Amino acid sequence: MKNRKIYLLLLLLGVCFQVNAQNRQTVSGYVKDKANGEGLIGVSVYVREAATGVVTNPYGFYSITLPSGNYTLVFSYIGYQKVTREVTLDADKTLSIEMEDESNQLQEVTVSTQREDENVRSIEMSVNKVEMKTIRKMPALLGEVDLIRSIQLLPGVTTVGEGASGFNVRGGDVSQNLVLLDEAPVYNSSHLFGFFSVFNPDAVKDVKLIKGGIPAQYGGRISSILDVRMKEGNSKKREVNGGIGTIFSRLTYEQPFAKGKGSFIVAGRRSYIDVLAKPFLNSDLKDSKFYFYDLTAKVNYQLGDKDTFYASGYFGKDVFGGGDFGFGWGNATATARWNHIFSNKLFMNLTGYYSNYDYSLGQNANDPNAKDKFDWKSKIISTSIKPDFTFYITPNNQLTFGGQYIYYDTRPGRALAVSEGQSTDISLDPKYADESAFYIGNEQKFSDRISMQYGIRYSYFRSLGPGTEYEYITDEIGKRKLPVFPGTEYKRGEKIKSYGNWEPRASLNIGVTSNASIKASYNRTAQYLHLLSNTAAASPLDVWTLSSPIIQPEKADQVALGWFQNLKDNTYEASVEVYYKKLYNQIDYIPASELLLNQFVAGDLLFGKGRAYGAEFYLKKNKGKLTGWISYTLSKTERQVESINNDDWFPARFDKPHNFTSVAIYEVGKRLSLSANFTITSGTPATFPTNRWEHGDWIIGNNYNNRRNNNRIPAYHRLDLAATLKSKKKLFKVGEGEWVLSFYNIYNRRNPFSIYTRVNEDNSLKTEAVRYAVIGSFIPAITYNFKF
Amino acid sequence: MKYFKKSAIKIGFAALLGGFFLTGCEDVIDLETETGPPQLVVDGWITNQPGPQTIKLTWSASYFDNTPAKPVLNAEVVVKDDKGTIYEFEDTAGNGQYIWQKTGDTLGHIGRKYTLTIKQGADTFTSSTEIKRVPAVDSIIYRKEKLPFEPDKGPREGYVAEFYARDLAGEGDTYWIKPVIRGKPEIKRATSISIAYDAAFSAGAPSDGLIFILPLRQSITTDSLYSAGNEVGVELHSITNEAFDFLSQVREQAGNGGLFATPIANIRSNVVNTNPAGPKALGFFGSSAISRMETTIDPAKARPDDD
Repeated sequence: MKNRKIYLLLLLLGVCFQVNAQNRQTVSGYVKDKANGEGLIGVSVYVREAATGVVTNPYGFYSITLPSGNYTLVFSYIGYQKVTREVTLDADKTLSIEMEDESNQLQEVTVSTQREDENVRSIEMSVNKVEMKTIRKMPALLGEVDLIRSIQLLPGVTTVGEGASGFNVRGGDVSQNLVLLDEAPVYNSSHLFGFFSVFNPDAVKDVKLIKGGIPAQYGGRISSILDVRMKEGNSKKREVNGGIGTIFSRLTYEQPFAKGKGSFIVAGRRSYIDVLAKPFLNSDLKDSKFYFYDLTAKVNYQLGDKDTFYASGYFGKDVFGGGDFGFGWGNATATARWNHIFSNKLFMNLTGYYSNYDYSLGQNANDPNAKDKFDWKSKIISTSIKPDFTFYITPNNQLTFGGQYIYYDTRPGRALAVSEGQSTDISLDPKYADESAFYIGNEQKFSDRISMQYGIRYSYFRSLGPGTEYEYITDEIGKRKLPVFPGTEYKRGEKIKSYGNWEPRASLNIGVTSNASIKASYNRTAQYLHLLSNTAAASPLDVWTLSSPIIQPEKADQVALGWFQNLKDNTYEASVEVYYKKLYNQIDYIPASELLLNQFVAGDLLFGKGRAYGAEFYLKKNKGKLTGWISYTLSKTERQVESINNDDWFPARFDKPHNFTSVAIYEVGKRLSLSANFTITSGTPATFPTNRWEHGDWIIGNNYNNRRNNNRIPAYHRLDLAATLKSKKKLFKVGEGEWVLSFYNIYNRRNPFSIYTRVNEDNSLKTEAVRYAVIGSFIPAITYNFKF
Repeated sequence: MKYFKKSAIKIGFAALLGGFFLTGCEDVIDLETETGPPQLVVDGWITNQPGPQTIKLTWSASYFDNTPAKPVLNAEVVVKDDKGTIYEFEDTAGNGQYIWQKTGDTLGHIGRKYTLTIKQGADTFTSSTEIKRVPAVDSIIYRKEKLPFEPDKGPREGYVAEFYARDLAGEGDTYWIKPVIRGKPEIKRATSISIAYDAAFSAGAPSDGLIFILPLRQSITTDSLYSAGNEVGVELHSITNEAFDFLSQVREQAGNGGLFATPIANIRSNVVNTNPAGPKALGFFGSSAISRMETTIDPAKARPDDD
C-alpha cells in the first residue's frame, strides 16, 4: 500500500519531467543587495516575454530554463528598486544582480508594467514575512526591537499573555513551532523568562512565518515554522552597528575579506542593569547575579562560481543567582552550510547543525566541600545533517528533494542532592533517539492561472537504548499512572520503539484576475519531540521529551483556503484565509503533576486531541509614506483530553476568539519616522471555582461542574507609540546615529495576564479574586543606535 | 524551585532588580462566579495518638461566601478497623465536630486499616485508609540568619530551624511534615504544606532510606524567621500515597497565581457515595502515625552559619 503511493508519486513527477524537445537554455545567478552584498531571499524574477517567473531561494539563487531567444528579466523585491535586464539566451548564462534599496533612490524610476504581486502569484499561502526594516521601526517594549513580539502581531498568532515566552499559531502550543536560526532549531527562544527573544535584530536578515501549506522540506513540528536567517556580513565594506537601549547594549561588526569573496558578522548583546545596580547593593546582595547576553556570528566564503560556504553560530545565556544559589539557561547553535551549483539547473545546500539547550539550578553547586548541596542540570542536544536539492527543470517545474537525519541526546535531569555530606543521585537516565526524513516536492505551473506545489515527506523516528521502559497502570483515568515493575531493559543502540509517518503536503493557486487569486492548501505534520509544560507560560525549566512507547508522536492535519488580492498597483495586499486544523496525541497533565526530575513522568501525562479553526483577515500597505497592516482573526482553539472537563472539549489556554492588531509606520521626512501598534484581543480562558470548602485551616475551591476554562478574563488592549529620529550630529564624526523613543502601553492599562482566586493573606476566612498583570503600567524607553 | 525557600527570596530579589521596570502587579477585584449546591465536606484525620479523635463534617458554600462553613448535623459517623472494632463518633456539641473518646483506649495503630462510614440523610459515604509506619525525629537544630532585606513578616535577623530524621528503608513511604509552633502543629497556609516521598519529593526521584533532604528539613521554618526563646518543633506524620497526592493537589491549587500558574483542577476526594448517582462528597479521610520533637531557641546553642 505504502509502495503504491510512492509509485504513484513518481509517475506523477515523471509526467511533469517530460522535457520538451525544443532547445532550452538556462539563466541562473544570485541576487544580492548592492549596499552590503547580502543575498536577497524571495526576489521575484519575472520573464516578460514568457510571462513566467521564479523566486530566489534562501541564498539568493535563482534559475530559469527557457527556449532559446531574447528575454527581458525583471527583478523586483519590496523596498528595492526594480531591475530590468535584457538577455539573449543562445547558451546557458549566468546573470547575477545587485539591487538597491528604495530609500537610496534619488528619483522615482518606474520601469515595468509587471506588478510586485508575489502575494497573489506565489503558491505560498498562510505565510507572513515581516521585513526587518519594519520590525525595527515598530514600537517595542522598553525600546528593545524584538522578533517574537513582532510575530505576535500577525494574523493567526496569539500568546497566553504579556511576558510569556513563545507564540501560538493557529491553535498550536508554543512547542509546536519549529523556530529555526540558520536552520538549527532553537529550543527556547526567550531571555528573562520570555520578556525578550534571543534573536539579535542587528544580525537578522529575514524572517518568515509559515502557518500553513508547509512545504515538504520542513518537518519536525506540527503547527508552524519560524525561519530566521542571519545576515551574512557586509561583503562590500566594514560596517559597525550598535546601540544602547534600556535593557541591552548591542554591538555588531561586519567585514568583507578575500576581496569581497567572503565576509563575516559578529554581533553581541548584553543586559547591563546589574552593572548599573552594583554600587547600590548592600553587602549581602553584592554577589547577586542577573544578566543575560547573546553572541551571534556568521562567516561566508564564495569559492569560485559554484560553491559558497557558510558557518554560523549562536550562543546565549541567562544568569540569575545570589550567594550560594544559581539559576541559568541558554541555547547554543552552530550551523555549517555548503551551497553547490551542480549545473545551473541543480542547486544543492548541505547543512549540518548542532543545537543545544540547557539549564542548571543549584545551591552550593560549585562548592565541592559543601555539606549540603543541590545541583540540577538538564539539556537537550540535537545534531543533524540535511541535504536539500532544487532542480529547476523548466520554469513550470521546480523540483525539490532531500532528506534529514537528526540524532537526539537528551539529559532530562541530572541531579545530585547532598544532605549532611551524604549524597544522593536522583538523576534521570539519558534518553536517545534519531529521526530521519526524506522528501520530494514539485512546484508546477499548469497554466498562466493554475499552479500547484505538491510533495510528500516521510519521517521515521526511533527511540534508542540504553534505557528501561515501563508500562503504566491506574485504577482511574485522570489519576497518576504507576509503573509496572520490572520494566523492559534495552541495550545501547537498541531500538525501543519506532514511528513512521507519511506527511503529504499540497498547495494550489488559481489566478482569478491579474491581481487576485484563490489558494488552497493541505498539510500533515508530525512531531516526535514534546515540551512537557503545564504552566500558563512556558518556563525555562520545561523539559523537551522524546517520543517513547507511551508518548506517541503528535500529529496535525490542516486545510486552508484563501482569497488573495492586491489593490492600487500593489500598494495594498489583502487576504482572507480560513483554516481548520486537527491535532492528535496532544499532551495534558494530571493535577499536581511532577514533570521535573521524575523518572515516571509518563505516568503523569494525559493524552487527547485538539481542533482549531478560524478566519484571518489581513490588509497590508507596502508603499508610500504610511505603511503597516491591519489584521483581524476570528478563531477557536479547543482540546479534548481524557478525564479533563468531564471529557468534553474545552478552550485551550491561548484561545482568543477575537484578535485585532494594527501596525502603522509613518515617514514624516528624511529624518523622522513615527509608528504605532494597537492590539485588542479577547481575554484568555480561565477556570474559576464555584464553591469553597474547609479543610483544617484551609479554604479550598471547587468547580461544581468540574469544568476547565469555563470563564474568560477581560479583553486585552494596548497602544504603543514610537518615534525614530536620525540625529544630525554624527557619532565619531562618521556614519549615522538615531534616537528611538518608545512608549509601551501608552494609556497605562493594567491588562490582566490571569485572574485567579486565593485566600486573603490576613483573613483566612476570606476568599478573593485577584487580577494579575505582568506589565501594569505605561513604560517609556529611549534607545540610541549608531552605524558607521 | 518552590523548595528553595531562602534562596527563592534571594532569586526573587535578583529577578526583581533585573526586572525592576516590569511592574508586575496584583489587584483584588470583584468577580462573579456561578455557585453549585452545597456538598458534604469531610475533614477527618485519625492518628495513633492516645486521646480523642475528631472528624469534622461541614457543607461547601458559594466561593465568595466569607463565613465559616456550616456544620453538618445529625450524621452517623462510624470508623471500623480491620480487626472488626467499631468506633462511634458523636457530635455532642452540635457543631459538626464528630468525636470519638474512650478513656484509656487508643484508636489508631500502625499497620491497621480503617473504614469510615457516614450516613447523612438518604446518602451513605465510605472511605478507607491505613496507618503507615513513621521514623523517629532525631534532632532539631537552628542557625542564625540575616535576610538581605526587611521581610514582610518576622524579624530580619533570626533563626532558621531544621529537623533531622531518616526515611525508613523500603520505597514508597510518604510523610507530612508539620511545623509545631508554641506546642501546636500549624499549617496556616496551604502553600506551605510540606510533604515527602521517601526522603525527597516524588516517586520518580529515588531517595529511599536517606536523611530527609535539605529543603524538606528546613520546611519547619515557613514564612518568617524564628527569634530567641521561640518554641519550635516538628511533627512527622506518616500518610498514605493517596493522602500525599491529596496534599500536593491542595498545595498546587493554593499557589496558582503568576506567570507559571498551573491550571486549577478539582481536588479528588477519597470519600465516595455508595450510590454512584448520588451527590458527591468533598474532602479527605486520612490517618497518620506521628513522631514529634520540640525545642526552645537558645542563641547559645545555635549552629554556626555555614553559608
